[in-house]
Amino acid sequence: MCIITISRGSYSSGKEVAEKVAACLHYDCVSRDILLEASDRYEVDEIKLVKAIHDAPSILERRGRKKETYIAYIRSALVSRVRSDNVVYHGLAGHLLLRGIPHVVKVRIIADIDRRSAMEAQREGITLEKARSAIIADDEQRRKWTQSLYGVDPWDSSLYDLVVKVDRLSIADAVDIVCDAAKREAFKTTPASQQKMEDLVTACAVKAALIEEFPEVMVLSEYGNVIIHSASGGRHAQKIRKAVGALETTIGGINSIEVHADGNAPPGSV
Amino acid sequence: MKPLTLEMIMVMSIIGIAVFLFIVEWVRVDVVAILVMVGLPLLGLVTPKEAFIGLSSNAVVSIIAVIIIGAGLDRTGVVNRMVTPLLRIAGNSASRIIIAICLAVAVISSFMQNVGAAALFLPAVQRVSRTLKIPISRLLMPIGFSAILGGTVTLVGSSPLILLNDLLVPFNLKPFGLFDVTPIGLALVGSGIAIFIILGRFILPRGESESGETASLAKSEDISQMIGETFELHTPADFTLYRDPVMVGDLRRRYLVNVVSLVAPPDFKILNPEPDVEIRSDVDIALCGKEKDVRRMAEAEGMLLKDHVEVFKEELAEHSSGTVEAVVPPRSPIVGKTINEYDIHRRFGATPLAIYREGDIYRSDIGDMALRVGDALLLHGSWKRLQGLQKDRTLLLTTPIDGELMRPEKAILATAWLAASLVMILVFKIQLSVCLMAGAIGMIVTKVLSIDEAYQSVDWRTIFLLGGLIPLGIATEKTGTAAWIAHAVLGAIGTVSPIVLLAVIGVLATVFTLVISNVGATVLLVPLVVNMAIAANGDPRMAALVVGLATSNSFILPTHQVNALYMGPGHYRSVDFMKAGTVVSAMFLVVMIAMIYLFY
Repeated sequence: MCIITISRGSYSSGKEVAEKVAACLHYDCVSRDILLEASDRYEVDEIKLVKAIHDAPSILERRGRKKETYIAYIRSALVSRVRSDNVVYHGLAGHLLLRGIPHVVKVRIIADIDRRSAMEAQREGITLEKARSAIIADDEQRRKWTQSLYGVDPWDSSLYDLVVKVDRLSIADAVDIVCDAAKREAFKTTPASQQKMEDLVTACAVKAALIEEFPEVMVLSEYGNVIIHSASGGRHAQKIRKAVGALETTIGGINSIEVHADGNAPPGSV
Repeated sequence: MKPLTLEMIMVMSIIGIAVFLFIVEWVRVDVVAILVMVGLPLLGLVTPKEAFIGLSSNAVVSIIAVIIIGAGLDRTGVVNRMVTPLLRIAGNSASRIIIAICLAVAVISSFMQNVGAAALFLPAVQRVSRTLKIPISRLLMPIGFSAILGGTVTLVGSSPLILLNDLLVPFNLKPFGLFDVTPIGLALVGSGIAIFIILGRFILPRGESESGETASLAKSEDISQMIGETFELHTPADFTLYRDPVMVGDLRRRYLVNVVSLVAPPDFKILNPEPDVEIRSDVDIALCGKEKDVRRMAEAEGMLLKDHVEVFKEELAEHSSGTVEAVVPPRSPIVGKTINEYDIHRRFGATPLAIYREGDIYRSDIGDMALRVGDALLLHGSWKRLQGLQKDRTLLLTTPIDGELMRPEKAILATAWLAASLVMILVFKIQLSVCLMAGAIGMIVTKVLSIDEAYQSVDWRTIFLLGGLIPLGIATEKTGTAAWIAHAVLGAIGTVSPIVLLAVIGVLATVFTLVISNVGATVLLVPLVVNMAIAANGDPRMAALVVGLATSNSFILPTHQVNALYMGPGHYRSVDFMKAGTVVSAMFLVVMIAMIYLFY
């Protein structure tokens, strides 16, 4: 009983590993369908969400914070989807979107660049050189995306519980390793870790509800006690208070909700 | 006009640096004053004796004595005794209540520090607001402004006026008597109150709307409802089995309940346990919280919620412990710090329940909120421990604590010693500092307050601010800097009539007091304006008096200590002070100049 996130580059066989792990453990396997859920829930074009989660924000986007809004929607959809465990999520930044949850096994599947280039060249019918350039460009784009939004490098192995290189280890080996890890005591869902998950679901839902109007807010939920931190002063905080009035009834799991206009969002806020 | 000398340039540089530091507040104002105090003799601008003469000056000793007398009046409940009959006379009319309390605060403020008088009235005003359903914002600003204006009624009402006579000594000018300023002060207080009665509805904040105002009132009224009641629970026998230890702080974070007592096995009762105390199996705990949160916790943690408080009946009885509201006063060491950083729980043995800020109650994660002036902390503790908090003065308790600290039986003695001081000043014409210190020591000898309480009541920041800036005044005068600037300014503005000169000085002092402390403004401006008045053939005493009074003309920004204190509880914004303060400041200048012109 846990959640597995599989981070992968293109042509790293990560998708295949994820699907086989899900089949082996009888878990659900989710990826892009999260975008569909977010698109339905928040009435945003799916293509905008795809761009938001793939392309690094441009200078203009960084100012406008539109991309952060879409990512808040995606995150809210993802955490709602995986809250009941037994899920393998493969896609960008799953390990970051679910950080702080102890029963998440964070896996990164990597592969040799030559192997990846050969697969790209074969599939697209292009030269090996062009395929290599395309893969490097794609990796770079994802690196920039993660760095601009989370300040970390996706190639930093300390972000993951497992980094498996599919090369000398086959896909089946990788599946076995991941399945074995998922059964370990360390990743078992406990009442405390499930509570953290529930709080993350609540915080993400509140953040998604507010982010369009108040892009700077940070939200923390602890046992359903929600604190919205805003760096803007008193007047602005009053506006947020008015806006959150309805949330207690529309979003489940909220026990109390407070707006703190001091901007000192503690670690763990979303 | 004398030529500009190196010494003058040095003095002007020190003034410039001091004013700059007063504005930017990189270091506290009293530290700036001490830097000036040691910097001047090091640069040879004053003698070592002159550098420290401020500390033994008439002004500084008078202020120490006034603070002690004020503490004596406070400790014996003289102020509270004044308020009750006043309110009875005022009835239910908002205007009459404003007039009654404003007059009372002005009278008190004329004999003690303005912020002290304002603080004494805060709980009474909050009570009146709740009982009579008058918006607090309608009451506090007029009362706060009256406390400031009341400081101009006597020569001991505010620090600048106490300081004035000392600053006149180098010029051999006749000192002012205790009540020489009273006609002007009374006119200012009267005009201030009249402005709020006549124009109050235009210049005071109306609140968001009629319903918004009611909602805000309901909030202040329901503070106790917001933090809930006291409940007693029993933890199950297997509470600590197969789980991480549960601490007092964990229950607070999870369920917003505050454990105020618990039993540590076998039967040791801990009152107001700190957040890191573990909750054990099969023990009783008492906590303060909303019923829905307590029930949620009892269900989730498998605790038994009792119908009544049983085990902690004695400890939680009204005569043993309770909840108080403690306001963060200006210049408190706690300003800018969090409850956790200041370690309020451990330091005072009181449990912080909530923070009340600008009309909102905060219950979640209050330990990490940086505290601001005017924030009200709701604290639970035993009366004995809360008395320690009251003594400490880091926080201002707006809920009176019954117990040993209050000595109502000494009220007559306290009033008698105040009267004795006044008689000595008025009838026997003895020096101000001697009379006031006699009153202060009289209170100590007759046990109105102990010598330790007297020492603790003195605000040493004010003392060093005064003591440190007095030598700057001496240096300004001695080096001829004041005369030089005065001539330069007069040369620039040309020949003006004395009344215009006084008006210019009034505006100048008002501007100075808004950006630097009133004491700093007085010390810097008095030597300057005395020289200006002499050069322009005006009355130098009146020029100095205008400075002493106009440095209390601090209403436009919430920089004055009284305004800062009332800003939070009154739910005011800076713009509210600008609106009402501009009108009152203009009135202040007009009335002051008119009174000086007519009577002096």
